Amino acid sequence: MARANIDLLQGTLDVLVLRTLAGGPMHGWGIAQRIQQVSEDVLRVNQGSLYPALHRLEDEGWIAAEWGASENNRKAKYYRLTRRGQRQLEAETENWQRLAAAVARILQTA
Amino acid sequence: MRSLAGRMRRMARALLPRRRREQEMDDELRHHLELETEANVRHGLPPEQARRAALLRLGGLEPSKEACRQSWPGRLWEDLGQDVRYGLRGLRRSPGFTAAVALTLGLGIGANTAVFSLVNGVLLKPLPYARGDQLVVLRQPDAHAGAADLGFSVPEVRDYRELSRAFDSVVEYHSMDFTLLGGGDARRVRTGVVSWNFFDVLEVKALLGRSFRADDEQPGADAVLVLSNDYWRALGGDPGIVGRRFEMNDRVHTVVGVLHAIPQYPDDNDVFMPATACPFRNRPDVLGNRRGRMLNAFARIAPGITLAQAQADLDGISARLRRAYPDALPRDSEARVALSPLKEDLVRQARPTFLVLLATVALVLLIACANVANLTLARLVERSRELAVRSALGAGRVRLLRQLLTESTIVALAGGALGLLLAYVTGDLLTAFAARLTPRASEVTIDGRVLLFTLGVSVLTGVLAGTLPGLPGREKIAPTLLGDSGRTTSDRRRQRMRSSLVAWQLALSFVLLIGAALMLRSFENLRRVDAGFRADQVLTARLNLNFSSYSNAEHRIDVERVNAFYRALDDQLRGLPGVVAIGAAWTFPLNSAFQNDGTFAIEGRDASGAPPKATFVGVSPAYFEALGVPLVRGRVFDERDRAGGPGAVIVNQRLARRYWPDDDPVGRRISTDRGRTWRTIAGVVGDVRQSSLDREPQDAVYLPFREFPGYGSILFVRTLGAPGRIAEQVRAAARTADAQTAVTELRTLADIRSEALSSPRLTSVLLGLFATVALVITAAGLGGLIAYSVSRRTHEIGIRMALGADRSRITAMVLREGMTSVAIGLVMGLAGALALSRLVSGLLFGVGPNDPICFTASAVVLVLAAVAGCVVPARRATTVSPMSALRAEV
Repeated sequence: MARANIDLLQGTLDVLVLRTLAGGPMHGWGIAQRIQQVSEDVLRVNQGSLYPALHRLEDEGWIAAEWGASENNRKAKYYRLTRRGQRQLEAETENWQRLAAAVARILQTA
Repeated sequence: MRSLAGRMRRMARALLPRRRREQEMDDELRHHLELETEANVRHGLPPEQARRAALLRLGGLEPSKEACRQSWPGRLWEDLGQDVRYGLRGLRRSPGFTAAVALTLGLGIGANTAVFSLVNGVLLKPLPYARGDQLVVLRQPDAHAGAADLGFSVPEVRDYRELSRAFDSVVEYHSMDFTLLGGGDARRVRTGVVSWNFFDVLEVKALLGRSFRADDEQPGADAVLVLSNDYWRALGGDPGIVGRRFEMNDRVHTVVGVLHAIPQYPDDNDVFMPATACPFRNRPDVLGNRRGRMLNAFARIAPGITLAQAQADLDGISARLRRAYPDALPRDSEARVALSPLKEDLVRQARPTFLVLLATVALVLLIACANVANLTLARLVERSRELAVRSALGAGRVRLLRQLLTESTIVALAGGALGLLLAYVTGDLLTAFAARLTPRASEVTIDGRVLLFTLGVSVLTGVLAGTLPGLPGREKIAPTLLGDSGRTTSDRRRQRMRSSLVAWQLALSFVLLIGAALMLRSFENLRRVDAGFRADQVLTARLNLNFSSYSNAEHRIDVERVNAFYRALDDQLRGLPGVVAIGAAWTFPLNSAFQNDGTFAIEGRDASGAPPKATFVGVSPAYFEALGVPLVRGRVFDERDRAGGPGAVIVNQRLARRYWPDDDPVGRRISTDRGRTWRTIAGVVGDVRQSSLDREPQDAVYLPFREFPGYGSILFVRTLGAPGRIAEQVRAAARTADAQTAVTELRTLADIRSEALSSPRLTSVLLGLFATVALVITAAGLGGLIAYSVSRRTHEIGIRMALGADRSRITAMVLREGMTSVAIGLVMGLAGALALSRLVSGLLFGVGPNDPICFTASAVVLVLAAVAGCVVPARRATTVSPMSALRAEV
């Protein structure tokens, strides 16, 4: 793991979690792994803040949780995206893209 | 922007049982750790290390859980509940500490609650009249004669009422005594005689029935009464009292109403009557006489008018009246009516005392607070292990601080409850005290505002006592946990903090001691004042004759009939065993309510300057003997001094010395009616303080009571035995002389003197009490500080003793440490006292605010108390065994 990891910006974890869950229900550890994989190990999730974030998102009603059996039949807490979470994800994604585009423009011109 | 649905969901989650949520979180995190560990093993780590790496990546299990809990709804309340539970548990574990703190704060908060209830009831609450701030008292001062208020005559009140534009109305008031007859003994009824719209101007509605109407004041109207709330209650508080008939003097009066409880001002009245009810005010020679000043005047300023505008309006009218009636006022007087807000009049006497008391109890509470902070600091050191453990388990600094605050607040609230109890228990005593200073005393209650004040002070005290000690720094926690005895920089810092807290306590205590000493000396001076009479073995009583039976057809006093009454009374009293002298006078000595100042002229002297002035008192021949006032020259009054007699007066020594410093005044003549008639000075007597103990005796002119008797008088009976024993016989004798005589205020002259001392006595007792409480708290605080320091230095003391230091040197060393704080406290306290002492100067008598004796005595007391506080720990230091001390910490 010699590559430099980027610490997640405040608030970005939420949108990444939502996006990851758009692919289907998943448990906490799976979400962390998935974000790391998809970002090709660039983004490393601080696991200590993952669970508080999940609980917060659940309180907001953007994700819902239920207990199920995992791959090797262990009890696991699965999170899935709710319809409100779907709308939130769309809004956040749009925000992100506008922000990223703006930042990119500044970096190119300045 | 959380939606309603989201909020509902959060609330629903908050209602989930906490244990289930904890369980789910445990399961979830365990599952995570298992998966992470397995992943690590797959990457080739040995199982032990794999689990450790997983834990590290999560950032520790407990902190991680705590972070999750933080995000749960309802967290704040849960934490608070937990803090309170922990706090109560911790406090229960050290009941001694808890009791000491609660008691200390209880005393401090109780004193503050009690004094604040006085300040609130008297100074802060609005007057119990609607828009009470618009009510003013009108006075007609005569600066030239030194009179604060000449009063107003009937035509003057009418003129000011009709000519002024700045007032809704101007109303009159005067007080007199009626006699209640029928059904048992004749009783004195103190009566306020007022304009019909007096209560409308005050905007006081009747509690029962009605107040006066315009037609009550019409000539020939039925005699009506409005009862004061106090009198109605004293009569039994009958709700059906309206319509009841009272036979008073020569008329039957019908009760038309009962008032709400309002301040009894300017006098303590039983009933009120409309202005036409007073036969003397309505004598033709009074009604038309601009100089017949017997009334007080009150007014309500019209809406939107300022005090200054109202004053300007009055000044204009005064000038007009002066031009129209140049003889109505003394030649040289200023002719100006002065305004003062009613509220100021009601509280003028009480304000300085109450403010000094408030400042005192605030200081006491500060001292108590400092002590609690010190105790908390000491306890913090004992608890540093517990705090370190909790910190390691994930409690943040803020959380720890909050825990400490919660604890101190719980104790402070317990102290507050205790204080409230204290204030409640002492309430009656304080109200009685306040009653001597203000008519508003009956408004002193523990109301919502006082409760709020107590709650606020308790919480503030808790916060102050909880934050002053601060929290051990991060650097402190780890070594403590590792078993270090914990002598670190922050420890020394805290010790310094404790020393300075104690120095502050000493300084504040010093200030309080000085205040108490000043009050005590004032009181002692006052107690020793020679009032000019011998107070022992004299019984006094107020006699009120039924004025209707002792007046002639013109409503003038029938002098012969009154004198016949006193002769009959004399005969009765002289027969009683042990009676030595029987005197009568218009007033009793030390009576601040008696105001009868006037001017006179001296025969053969230039009258162009300021006229001589004096207090005029009518007294009977044996008055001076009964009171034990020495006759210095000439004679006292005797049988000759009656209407148509030689026209004698007696003057006091002060007056004699002022106007006849070198010769004998006896035989000289003075005039009280600008030279129309002259009266001869027959004698000179000793000076008597007629108005109060703390005022120098005034120049006095005594007139023969037989020539100028009153319907009411004060009787003085000097006896050989205990004067109280003949009280009932005196009452019976007065009734025998005339069954319609009302006898009240039966008490001894010593009672009158003691009464005059009661308010300064209570003030100095209160200040002394508060200073003592503060001193005890402070000495205990100093002792605690030294004890702690000794226990920290056991090792050092052991070495010193091993090296040959003897006990006295160790004691001196410990005492020196204590005395350093005392010295700092004395210097700070001295500065504070010099800055503050002017505050109390208005309450002092015969002693300056910077009295060196009081300052020195207070310093001595403070040092003694401090030494006493240090002795116990110092003795403990000397009993340290060098061997065990050296072994204590190796």
